[in-house]
Parts: sequence; structure tokens; C-alpha cells
Amino acid sequence: MIDVQNLTKQYAGRTAVDGIRFQVEPGEIVGFLGPNGAGKTTTMRILSGFMPATSGKAMVAGFDVFRHSLEVRRAVGYMPEMAPLYVDMKVKEYLRFRAELKGMGGHSMRRRVGEVMELCGLTDVRRRLIDNLSKGFRQRVALADALVHDPKLLILDEPTNGLDPVQIRQVRELLRELRTRHTVLLSTHILHEVEVTCDRVIMLNHGRILADDSPRNLASRLNTSTVVRVEVETKDEKAPLKLEGIQGVRKCTEEAVEGGAWRHFMLRVEPGFDVREAVQALATAEAWRVRELHRELPNLEDVFVELASSAEVMKGGRLS
Amino acid sequence: MRGFWVMLKKELRMFFVSPVAYVVLALVMVLNGFAFRAALSILESAPSEGSIVTWTFQPQWFWLSYFFVFPLLTMRTFAEERRLGTFETLFTAPVRAWQVVAGKFVATLIIYALLWAPSFFNFRVAHWISAGQVEIPAGTMGGSYIILLAMGMFNLAMGIFASSLTRNQIVAAILSFTLSLCHFLLGVFVMVIGRKLSDSVVDVVAYFASAEHIRIFTSGLIDTRPLIYYSSLTLLFLSFTLQVVEFRRWKP
Repeated sequence: MIDVQNLTKQYAGRTAVDGIRFQVEPGEIVGFLGPNGAGKTTTMRILSGFMPATSGKAMVAGFDVFRHSLEVRRAVGYMPEMAPLYVDMKVKEYLRFRAELKGMGGHSMRRRVGEVMELCGLTDVRRRLIDNLSKGFRQRVALADALVHDPKLLILDEPTNGLDPVQIRQVRELLRELRTRHTVLLSTHILHEVEVTCDRVIMLNHGRILADDSPRNLASRLNTSTVVRVEVETKDEKAPLKLEGIQGVRKCTEEAVEGGAWRHFMLRVEPGFDVREAVQALATAEAWRVRELHRELPNLEDVFVELASSAEVMKGGRLS
Repeated sequence: MRGFWVMLKKELRMFFVSPVAYVVLALVMVLNGFAFRAALSILESAPSEGSIVTWTFQPQWFWLSYFFVFPLLTMRTFAEERRLGTFETLFTAPVRAWQVVAGKFVATLIIYALLWAPSFFNFRVAHWISAGQVEIPAGTMGGSYIILLAMGMFNLAMGIFASSLTRNQIVAAILSFTLSLCHFLLGVFVMVIGRKLSDSVVDVVAYFASAEHIRIFTSGLIDTRPLIYYSSLTLLFLSFTLQVVEFRRWKP
């Protein structure tokens, strides 16, 4: 659906996107993840035909985004950041205008506008002025606009920006419903967001791709120490030492916990080890009662910080 | 072409939803009324060469409304899209830039033409009330409305160009006003100096002297030179606007 090769975008004196390449297959939900200024919006604007790249090639639905801009725009539903709308139009009026602008007309257009309003939960506010709508509703109007011509590809720039947790969940559920009919490329700087919604994450920083993989693979690929939490009932003073004796445990710290004999330990584990079974075996041997045994997997936030900082180191190394 | 019609429809609709339409219409009607009354008193006091139409479109009342109309009609066109951010949604929809520019231009031109409709009724009513004593010669009527339309096209194109340069409507309005006024004053100013210089200079200046064009056309003389002048300038400013709107698509 999307094929990007060596895409570069330079503004006066600044490189926003620096030779990125990636593919998106039909039916995927792919998340762009990165801090502000990483090049997410720029890449999306290029893909939606709003502006050209400085160099490199981008194909969307089989069309070159620069040479066949109109065909690309027909195939793409784009929702810009901050959901810009005509504030002195009514919801239904706006969506009809957008549908007509995108080449629809007559009865099928009216029916489709009704459908997307239903899908995005706008039916009750269809006669309201957009100016009087809350941020959440405006975001949904923009999403309905992106959907109205039933595009093959949806490009959503920060679709959950500024929404409350309930609305974020609604958008997330909506995206999951849409996946059967559309390919989705969305951007966010909320890590949890992509973890829950996306099949694949493309991490961007300073206009370069840091990683391109599924959230689960990214987390497990991460080469950092993991943490195992253990809560046992014992009066053994040597318990921390015994736990530290397990192969792979780097350090054991005891955390204060209320409730008499129950004690809580936090084990830092070398990369590549899973010590849970050994802990269980030790507890059985020592006749400790176990109430918690849990391994914390690194989340995307850790992955991102790790990758971003290692990229900085590489960059620094090259400079010196 | 579909994009053009959709844009035209939207622009017209949005204009009549906003209060700007009615403020402008009221302003033009008031000033037109003054101009019309002033023309009547001229005709009352002494026998005159010109008709009521000639005198209505020449006094300062007319020029007052003339300069205010264009900024008010055009300041929203592109500045508003930029301010709201809808510039981005507009140009990621499958429409060509020229369709957007042409749609906005034709919409403002239609509204502008509607502004002069009441003045037409003024003349008809005066003719009817006075039982034909107030003459409205077909030539002066035709000439007046043709030159008003031609000048309107040019000034609206200039206003839309000004609006495409900024995201601030006020800046767009001031720029549009300044451009229109400069063009007008250039005609008047050089005309005054020109009399002291030579006839050939006056001939050249006559090409862009709006006041002179109005005088010629309202007396029933339809000259093609000003019409070509205003049409070509209209196209020039519309193509400038197109370039500004398409600027982001230029390869750096």
C-alpha cells in the first residue's frame, strides 16, 4: 500500500526527514512513533500529496505521490494534526461539502455521509455548528471526513491528541473496526497508544527510522536487564543473599511492605535470563510461601529511550 | 471542473451565512443612495450634459464604497483557510489548485455583482416615478455596469492575491485596500502631472486611470482598451495567486 524509498525532506537549512525507507502492506495498522519534531507530520504530508519530498520516492496505492498526486489523494483519507475544520459550518453540511469535493454526489453521497456520521458517533450533533463542538467531537468530524470517500489508506496525524481517556478508547475501538476495510498509518507520541492499537511500529527520531517491528518483538528484542518481583513469607535473614545466588540475578533489593511476615524482593536480572523457575525452586526448597512472582517486560518507552540514546552515541562517535 | 463548482457553491453559501455579506451590502446601498441623491440634485439645479447614471457613478460617494468593497469581499478567501488550517485538508482532497482559486474568484465576483443590483432599481424607480422625465440612456447604463464589472474583476483578483499571502485577514484587507488605492492614485496623480508634460504621457497614463475609465464608460462610450487592460491584469493576479497557493509544491 505504501512504499517509501530513501525519502528526504529538507526545509531551509534543516533536514526534517533523512532518507527513510519502509513499506506498509494492505490491511496493516502501522504506528509512527517519535518525539515532537521527529519527522512524523512531514512524512505524512508527503504521503498525502500535500507537499513534495526533496529527494527519494514514495508510492501510495501504486501511484507516485508527486507525479500522480490526484490519484494518490483519491486513495488516501488524511486527517491533519489538530483536526482543522470550517468552524462556521454545520457537521452534516461540512461532511457533504467534503464528500462532494472528493468526487461523490447524489444519493450515494448522502447515504455515505449518514454512514460515517453513524460510525463516528456524530448523528446526534449533525445539525450543530462545528464552532460549538467540543475537541472530542471535532476530532471525530475530522475522522469522518477522512473516511467519507472510503479510502484505501487512512493517514491519521495524532488522532487521539487532546482527547480524554474515554474518547481515546473510543477512537482506538473505531480504528480496530476500520482495519477490515482500510490500511491505517497513524502517528502518536504516546507509546502506550501504539502498543495497544498497532500491528507494527515505526520509530522515528531526528528524521531517521530507529526501528520497524511489531510492538512485542521490539520489547523482547531489547537487550536490557529485566526485573522480577517476588513476594514471599519468610523470616530468613539470608533470603536476599540466597536469591542473589541464583544464576542470572545481578542484584536483589528488599522493599518495605506492610503485613508482618510477607517480604517483597526486587531482582535485577541479566539480559537473556528468566529466573522465575529457579526462584520457585528455591522457595520450595526453603519452604517459603509465595504470593507473587512476576516478570516485568520492558515496555516501548524503555525501547524508545534505549534506541534513541544509542543512536545519539552512534552519531557522536561518527562526528569525533 | 467538478472541484470548481463545489468550491463555488461552498464559498457563496459561507458568504451568506456570515454577517460580512449583509454589512457590505448595507454599506454599498447607503453610499449608493447618497450618490444617487447627489446626482439628482445636480440634475435639479441646472441643465446638464450627463444623465443620472453618469452623475451617480462619478462623485466621491461612489469612490467611497468602491475602495471598501474589495478588501471586505476578499480578505477571508485564503487567509481564513490558512488560519483555520483547512488549507491542508483542502489541498489533500483531490482538487486542482486552479479549481480552488477560480471557485473563490468567481464566488466573490458574483457577490460583487449582486452589490450593484440595488443601484439598477434606483434608476428604474426614478424613471418610473418621474414618468420618464429622468432619462436612463441604455448606453450609459450598459457602459457603467460593464466598467464596474471589469474594474471589480481586477480589484477582486488583487484582493484574493493579498489574502493568499497571509493568515491574517486584517493584513490581507489592508494590503488589498492599499493596492487598489495605489492603482487609483497612480492614475489620478500622473494625470495631473501629465498635463504639464505632454499629450503622449497623458495617452499612456489613460491606460491605467480608473477615474478616467469611469468617466468615459458612464457617458456611454464603450472602449475596449480598458476592458483588455483590466482582464489581463485580472488573469495576472489570479496566476500570481495560483503560484502562491502552489508554492509548497515547488521542488526546493
